[in-house]
Amino acid sequence: MNIIIALAVGFSSGALYALIGVGLTLMSVLTRVINFSLVAVGVFGAYLSIRSAPLIQSAPLEVQTAVTVVIAVVVAAVVSGILGWIEATWLSEATTTARSAVTVASLLMLISLSFILFGSQPQPLRPLLVGPAFLVGEVAITKVGIAMLVAAIIVGVLTWIIVRHTPIGVRLRAVSDRQTAAELLGVNVKALQVSVWMVMGGVMGLCVSIIGNTAAADATSMITLVIPGTAAALVGAFKNIPLTIVGGLVVGALQGALTAFPSTTQLRDWIPILVIVLFLLWNQRKEVWDVAR
Amino acid sequence: MSLKVTDVVVRRGVGPVISGVSLEVHPGSITTIVGPNGAGKTSLLESLSGIIPVASGSVELDGQEISKLSRRQRSLLGLKHVEQGRMIFPSLTVRENLKLTARAKADFDEAMSLFPELEKRVDSQTALLSGGEQQMVVLARTFAAKPRYIMIDEMSLGLAPVVFLRLIPVIQGIAESGVGVLLVEQFAHLALKAATDALVVTSGHVSYQGPARKLLGDEALLRDAYLG
Amino acid sequence: MSLASRPRPTTRPWLPLAFALGAIALGAIFGFGMPAYVVFVATSVLVAMVSLLGLGIVTGTAGMIALCQLSFASIGAWILEFLYLKTPLPTVFGAASFLVFMLIAGLITAVLGLVIGLPALRLRGVNLAVITLGVAAAVDTTVQQLGFPDQSFAHIPRPFGLTSDPTGDRGYFLFAVVVTVLIALAINALQGSRIGAAWKSVAFSERGTASAGTSVRTAKLSAFALSAFVGGIAGCLIVGQITQVNYLTFTPINSLGLYVLSIVVGSQLIDMALFGGILFVVIPEILKQFRVPLEWSSVAFGVLGIQALTSNSNLGTGVRAALFRRRRLREAARVEAAGDVAAVETVAEAPIPTGTGRPLLVVEHLTVEFGAVKALTDVSLVVEEGTILGLIGPNGAGKSTFVDAIGGFLPQHTGTASLDGEPLDGLAPHQRARAGLRRTFQQDRVPPSMTVGAYLRFVTRGKADPDAIADALHFFGCPDASIPLSVVDVGTRRLVEVAANLAARPKLLLLDEPAAGLSHDEHLAFANRLRRAPEHFGTTILIIEHDLDLVRSVCSRITVLNFGEVLATGDRTAVLSDPKVVSAYMGETEML
Repeated sequence: MNIIIALAVGFSSGALYALIGVGLTLMSVLTRVINFSLVAVGVFGAYLSIRSAPLIQSAPLEVQTAVTVVIAVVVAAVVSGILGWIEATWLSEATTTARSAVTVASLLMLISLSFILFGSQPQPLRPLLVGPAFLVGEVAITKVGIAMLVAAIIVGVLTWIIVRHTPIGVRLRAVSDRQTAAELLGVNVKALQVSVWMVMGGVMGLCVSIIGNTAAADATSMITLVIPGTAAALVGAFKNIPLTIVGGLVVGALQGALTAFPSTTQLRDWIPILVIVLFLLWNQRKEVWDVAR
Repeated sequence: MSLKVTDVVVRRGVGPVISGVSLEVHPGSITTIVGPNGAGKTSLLESLSGIIPVASGSVELDGQEISKLSRRQRSLLGLKHVEQGRMIFPSLTVRENLKLTARAKADFDEAMSLFPELEKRVDSQTALLSGGEQQMVVLARTFAAKPRYIMIDEMSLGLAPVVFLRLIPVIQGIAESGVGVLLVEQFAHLALKAATDALVVTSGHVSYQGPARKLLGDEALLRDAYLG
Repeated sequence: MSLASRPRPTTRPWLPLAFALGAIALGAIFGFGMPAYVVFVATSVLVAMVSLLGLGIVTGTAGMIALCQLSFASIGAWILEFLYLKTPLPTVFGAASFLVFMLIAGLITAVLGLVIGLPALRLRGVNLAVITLGVAAAVDTTVQQLGFPDQSFAHIPRPFGLTSDPTGDRGYFLFAVVVTVLIALAINALQGSRIGAAWKSVAFSERGTASAGTSVRTAKLSAFALSAFVGGIAGCLIVGQITQVNYLTFTPINSLGLYVLSIVVGSQLIDMALFGGILFVVIPEILKQFRVPLEWSSVAFGVLGIQALTSNSNLGTGVRAALFRRRRLREAARVEAAGDVAAVETVAEAPIPTGTGRPLLVVEHLTVEFGAVKALTDVSLVVEEGTILGLIGPNGAGKSTFVDAIGGFLPQHTGTASLDGEPLDGLAPHQRARAGLRRTFQQDRVPPSMTVGAYLRFVTRGKADPDAIADALHFFGCPDASIPLSVVDVGTRRLVEVAANLAARPKLLLLDEPAAGLSHDEHLAFANRLRRAPEHFGTTILIIEHDLDLVRSVCSRITVLNFGEVLATGDRTAVLSDPKVVSAYMGETEML
């Protein structure tokens, strides 16, 4: 199997990982946290949204779909916003470790609530885009994969535009540079940070609605999707968006390449860890001493 | 109408860092706080702007008690704190630093007019500027926020005296425009020349309070105040 | 004679052993007295407690996030089963096989912990969270697909021939009690040792740890490897309890739950690990009785976890703070009284040390730049052996930057520095400390979570005996070695830091504003003691100070920095009367 075929086989997953990685990177830069719950809020929102199906049975399919997607986005944004509010209110001066630890606790809660509310069977979450977009050799590039890649690029580009060229972006950068100095100038740090949490949550809700249960069949996907996302983000050192996208596609490609050797399928989940380890070693090759500690 | 501090005590950990501080800054005047390092001056300013809490005592801004308000609320009421160490936003350009507080073009131009030498650096990242230029950006940015009172912590830190001499007339101009200035300084003589009122803070308490001129003219008084 | 030198009763070393024996006795009574079902559940409690003890070291003591504790358990269980079912070793070890295999499993798991921790622990703690979450998921799917060696039909024999019926359950419970007690004893001993001090120090301040001669990475790795070892043991205990396991016993979600619970209770404390174990096992049991979905316990733990993190406390510290409040107040009062005695003590005035004339620290053309800001430019100086050099200058002149550079925290600097003829360049901070270069910090980097004595043993790397430690503490009028640092005020903690670094008998000690936070009288006492330090400890000192009276009274030579450059350097009186130096301070009335 050559590189192109491997990339094609792993494209859908890789593009999804790329989008998650972009989300994690943005949250790390703008709100100083590794948000382990990022995917979880999206999955939770999507699962809750399909519960509305009985209520809108009578409406045409497009309306049903639109309503479900809106509910998923709103629920994910609200849950994420609550988490962001907790962080901004009580942990605004805390270390990245403490702030990230909160997202581990919330990940635990979201998985558990998911099992309680929705059971452990695979969820009837229809993917919004089905089927191949085009073929590479004999391998189909799915529409979902294209959508995820496009979403990752759009989120990256939009964020870049907002952060570089709008007043809100200037404030966001100021807050991530020096939070106290920004507060002393009257910048509404809490509102800005909660907004970032809400927007990211909403994006995840939309994303999970699109991929449906092709990748997010049950609550454990909250963990199994965020891990390759962190691998992608590490390729970009939690700073560089284009590299993060590339990193996600590479993780997907490596997993895709494994499918050529059926006996190695159990190694699939070790690919992200391999990438994580490699890039941890690479990123920290020069010793840097944190001034604060 | 004043920034009125009454019997403020600030704690860091178990013991008080500074106590028994009462002062009043009127719009249009400059009050300076001088004293040896470690005496508690920075902690005092931090308690007034809300970075750390006031353990006891009251802080009133134009008659309103602010000691329980958040940093942002105090800032929006018109109290601006220029922290020690030139707190520019390093990844932002000079223009962007100013745009944070200068909403209208007129405000931006007015702030830039304080330091014409920043003109040619207006689109440079502030991380690349010299120490003096960074301090100018901080002051211009604070002025553009149209404050009622400004507290400045050791503006001269790490800067050559000649830079300080460049900055002091700007501070005096800001005061003349109706802003009340509280100036903490290590270069006592230069600060005392510019100020109307002065406090000397030593080892966590105020050892002298009164007209700056009096302190300036009396070296023995100044030395006793430092060692007392 | 000051309080610091009076011999104190050592803190009852037989106490942990007594507790251990008492626990085993209680365990025996419980195991053979309670109903079978209760004993079975209690065994699970012990397993959870052991897992939490392991986690507590990493999360509580060393302050990191570790999310794969049950993966270590599953690996340990797998190795145990493999050794039993796929090797001829059971015939070699007979009845003791279980114990031997458990130890082997623990050790192999510890090695795996080292391998996982190595890339993650170089400096940023949150990377460990990323990698351990990945490991948790990957081990889960691997074990799902691979299956355990028992293949769901073989049963692993219990240790020492215990049967698999309810009677055997009771015997096994006692076995689990003994194992848990032994692990708790070992962890308790480690927490009080230098390794434990290294863990606590690294959680509080990485710079402080490195300056004390301990590698930050080694400290973090040892904590993580030990937690992996204990995790592996826990997995073996589960196999012994239920004799057959599958992947459902070790899910990643339960690893998350254990982590969150560890934060909530503060499981680095032995009693809190037991409490956490009870919560982890008993709450789901209660929910089962009321037919409530078991996941609600995880939700509850999540909420408690968020609460603990936002209030920056946990049950363990809260309970202890309440219980020991009176004792803390008494200890704090004792510290204050000792301080007064120490200050009043009159010691004979010592002369300013003159030294041997041999250059000890040679710095040449040191330059440090942060972007466009030149913090230090072409700074060269020499410190003579046996003397005290004063480094002074206005605020912002670069003095602390100088000490940071010499200490090894600014590897990007240009220029050279050598200590006693050996170049320092290229050495990491902890290596410089071991080479004989010690420093204190302007900010408080003394971890409050240990006693004065434990801190000194940590900083001296175990090379100073109790007499030397008591001597160093007495020399500076510091509190007694048994006093916890949490009741000592910031100014006195600084003195303890100085005393500790001198007790390490370094070749060169860099002091960064050691007297800040001391009263005027305490300044004088400090100056007097400092003058005697070079001879008493065989050390050379470089001191940064703002208090020029202090500088004038201890230093033979002074270097003045201004805007990152050397303004003047030389004999004390000459430098202090140099008009350039006076005008540099310009208005700093201490000069007058």
